Amino acid sequence: MATVLATGVFMSGVAHADATLDKIRQRHKIVVGVLLSGGPFGSIDPSNQKPLGWNVELAQDIARQLGVELETVQVQPSNRVQLLQQGKVDILIAGMEWTQERNEILSFAPTPFYQVGGVAIVPQDSSVRRWEDLRGKQVCLSQGSNYAKPLSTEYGAQVQGFKGSSESLLALRGNNCAAAVHDNILLQPLVNDSPEWKNYRIIQPALIPGNSVVWARKGEQDTVAAIDKIIQGWHQSGWLIATEKKLNITPPSPVLVALHGKFKKI
Amino acid sequence: MMDAWLSKIVAACKGIGLNYDFLLAADERAAFLHGLLVTLQLSLACIVLSLLAGFLLATLLVSQRRWLAFGARVFVELTRNTPTLVQLYCAFLVLNMLITQALSSSVGNPLTPFIWVVLVISLHKGAFHAESLRAGIEAVPAVTLEAAASLGFSRRRQLWLVQLPLALRFALPSLINNLVDLVKMTSVASAIAVGDVTYQSIMIWTQRDNVLELMLLMLFFFGVLTYAVNLAGRWLEQNLRMPGYGR
Amino acid sequence: MADSAYTDAVPLLPQSALVLRQGRTWLLLLLLAVLLGLLLRSGILQLPLLKDLLTWSPALLLGMLANIQISVLAIAIGTLAGLFIGVLQLSSVRLVRLAARGYVQLFRNAPMLILIYFSTYVFPFELHISSHYVSFPDWIKVTLGLALPASANVAEIFRGAMLSIPAPQWEAASSLAFRRTQLLRWIILPQCLRRMLPSWMNLYSTITMGTALASLVGVHDLLDTAQIASTTVNRVDFTVAIYFTTLLLFFIYCYPISRFTHYLERKYAFI
Repeated sequence: MATVLATGVFMSGVAHADATLDKIRQRHKIVVGVLLSGGPFGSIDPSNQKPLGWNVELAQDIARQLGVELETVQVQPSNRVQLLQQGKVDILIAGMEWTQERNEILSFAPTPFYQVGGVAIVPQDSSVRRWEDLRGKQVCLSQGSNYAKPLSTEYGAQVQGFKGSSESLLALRGNNCAAAVHDNILLQPLVNDSPEWKNYRIIQPALIPGNSVVWARKGEQDTVAAIDKIIQGWHQSGWLIATEKKLNITPPSPVLVALHGKFKKI
Repeated sequence: MMDAWLSKIVAACKGIGLNYDFLLAADERAAFLHGLLVTLQLSLACIVLSLLAGFLLATLLVSQRRWLAFGARVFVELTRNTPTLVQLYCAFLVLNMLITQALSSSVGNPLTPFIWVVLVISLHKGAFHAESLRAGIEAVPAVTLEAAASLGFSRRRQLWLVQLPLALRFALPSLINNLVDLVKMTSVASAIAVGDVTYQSIMIWTQRDNVLELMLLMLFFFGVLTYAVNLAGRWLEQNLRMPGYGR
Repeated sequence: MADSAYTDAVPLLPQSALVLRQGRTWLLLLLLAVLLGLLLRSGILQLPLLKDLLTWSPALLLGMLANIQISVLAIAIGTLAGLFIGVLQLSSVRLVRLAARGYVQLFRNAPMLILIYFSTYVFPFELHISSHYVSFPDWIKVTLGLALPASANVAEIFRGAMLSIPAPQWEAASSLAFRRTQLLRWIILPQCLRRMLPSWMNLYSTITMGTALASLVGVHDLLDTAQIASTTVNRVDFTVAIYFTTLLLFFIYCYPISRFTHYLERKYAFI
């Protein structure tokens, strides 16, 4: 049903589609920027160097429902907005939550597909127990992270931006910062599952928790509408919850359950 | 008054399509200026330490004890033939982490990223200096050394009083070239968040998307810095000139 | 140098054979084997680690190939452009000379990292030629970014080589009624090219090491692959191993080039 709706929207907008949708149709290909920071949400299969994970599964299903080929481009927090704006990617599935600043320069599909917030990872014996304890301390994060502003303005921490989360976490292990702040979907599995990180703990509650949405260039209303229909279809059919289970993402997100309930009624 | 002046310049630049708004935001401007300062500090620290390391390695390279010379040669070849960025990552991400794990939590790891950058760049460039100095040392005519030996100079005094001063003068152009390269190399510090001008620029352009404008500023700054090093080099060449040697 | 007398005595043996004949090399290899055995024995180096390294080695080698590709293309473009700029520096038109000088000064004094960032962000990511989209991938941008300092340095090396040609060569050629272009083509340039060779190989070495910076702008080179591997496997011992393996791979590529450069320097030392 959702597929029919989506293809319907896709086909019906022949005369009025925006530039991105035109390009996707013309090239029979959609280029999706995905964040592969490791873990179940995005990583690389060593045997064939292909990306896999949550972000990639979503991208594949979008391409399938639009009836086009998929090309994935790995993005980093430091360059994802630029890549989208330059046109190198058509949409972003990069764990980017909605913020007012982003809303001003980009468009987004209103239905969220996950919820992300920032948490801090600290050594077990660290004196940091709450966010406020980070005042005046060094905090490692990725260049381009949207946690930099709240950390420096609200909590008075000194932020150090690294190229990616892996460098930031290595710097934390080298005692160059008191804490590393990244998405909870990245850090939670580390502390839960990885034996390397058993001497570390997470500071809750999540910083600026926000809905993860798919981003497109400013003004691309048709693209956004098409994607949004697809996402709503996911919630309705429960595909997202099934994918979450398939990829072993724990703990299962209550947000997905709530959205599934909401869209099933429609 | 300064702000008014700055606003005029920013507005003028906007006229030709360059967005220098970040100069009007106090925190970003301060961050950029701090970045310039850090680059200067890095350059100075690395210049001094790399020259020291270069001298030390050069003396080891020409040492009569084969195992010392061999060890120095292995080190020089390893650092000269691997990229600085990879060395920096190995030092800062790997060695640093291992050191922290080895030390107990009460002692703590005193090595900051700044120190690591200075160490890695100084050793890397020190290897290049050592090669230049070694070439200089070997260019000292054998006659001079024999004369020194016949006057009763010990091997060590020969090295210190005869070979090294002459080698320094022979190697000076090459050393100055290396130092210019070193100043340029400090920009890799941005990869481990050291806060030099490249890092600050990255932090600013990821928020404001004004890459070209920051590039122009950085190119200008590095141009001035390398020109200063070249000038200092030429001054040294003039002052250290010995009649009969060189041009 | 300790082994120069040895190599002068046997000038016709290839470098590799010379290296293997030296007892030093065998001693070093033996020490390495012993060290490896000790590490395996003590449990610091585990077999799963070696297994993981082997799984990732094709990816690493592909990454290394990307680096080599960038470096070769950059030096090729840079050499052609550099020779052109070098010849422009000899022009009789003052403005052209100044412009060439300016180009050389600008790109020799700019850090490679900044030029790479510049070419990555300022160039468009694809070109519109009529109705076709020709993609302009990241690695080509990095190649162009590296070709800029390469060309400036080649122009400078060319100028140095020209200056080192003794004046009598120019005078003798013109006294034999060679035109300026003929003089450059038949007398000066062949000699220049031979003198330029060692410095040019040094430049190639520098450019190859500059390709490691490509990982900072997202090109999937060796260093980037190592970082992805380290994040995916997510074990401390693997991270240590993979970063040092990256170091080793660069060394294995660059060291023979450096030795060959030394050989060339000695061969052309007294021309």
